[in-house]
Amino acid sequence: MSARFPGFVYSQGGEPDARFTLANERTFLAWIRTSLAFIAAGIALELLGAELHAALRLAASLLLILVGTATPPLAWFGWAKTERALRRQEPLPAAPLGAVLALTASVAGALLVLAILLR
Amino acid sequence: MTLFDPGLQPERTELAWRRTALAIGIGSLLAVRLLPAAMGSPWWALPGFAGILLTAALWLGARRRHRAVARALAVYGDRAALPGGALPAMLAALVTLIGAGAVATVVAHAVSATG
Repeated sequence: MSARFPGFVYSQGGEPDARFTLANERTFLAWIRTSLAFIAAGIALELLGAELHAALRLAASLLLILVGTATPPLAWFGWAKTERALRRQEPLPAAPLGAVLALTASVAGALLVLAILLR
Repeated sequence: MTLFDPGLQPERTELAWRRTALAIGIGSLLAVRLLPAAMGSPWWALPGFAGILLTAALWLGARRRHRAVARALAVYGDRAALPGGALPAMLAALVTLIGAGAVATVVAHAVSATG
């Protein structure tokens, strides 16, 4: 197999058990689907939520979309660091992404509740 | 020691790629349906159609990737060299682009609603 991308992963260590590599890949894809859900929720709020308080709805919408947009690069670097750790047989890196997304969902939800109450 | 079934994990991974493609596909169909009306122009159907093309590309890419994985495992066993991070990187970049488009769409919609 010709040199794989990225170099900072595949120049290190040796091939891990295929199960771990494939599980890592599925985890990355799950983050991508989560990011798509955030983006879709943000667009839906703006396009379909006309009866809500406009500024609060826009804030919730942009928050969801912006965090959803930032997620794919973070997810990919998380995939890369995990793959490198698997190759070097080191402990897997921590993943703060989940906490960020959970916090975002909570804040967006609170903004939405306010947008409904203050319409 | 390892009860590794090479037929199971690669299939699960291909299904994960397919689920991701379907998520983009459904969003794209909704975009084709909703954006032109919400934004007031039939040209706004184009992002959704682009998304449908991306969906098809991902679906086919998933198949290709699965075949490469299955072949590698069949020849080299469970420590085979599997496909790397190029396709995931492209997917991440495209979804980021979708998000950037979404920001622009929301801002454009908000501006036109207040204007």
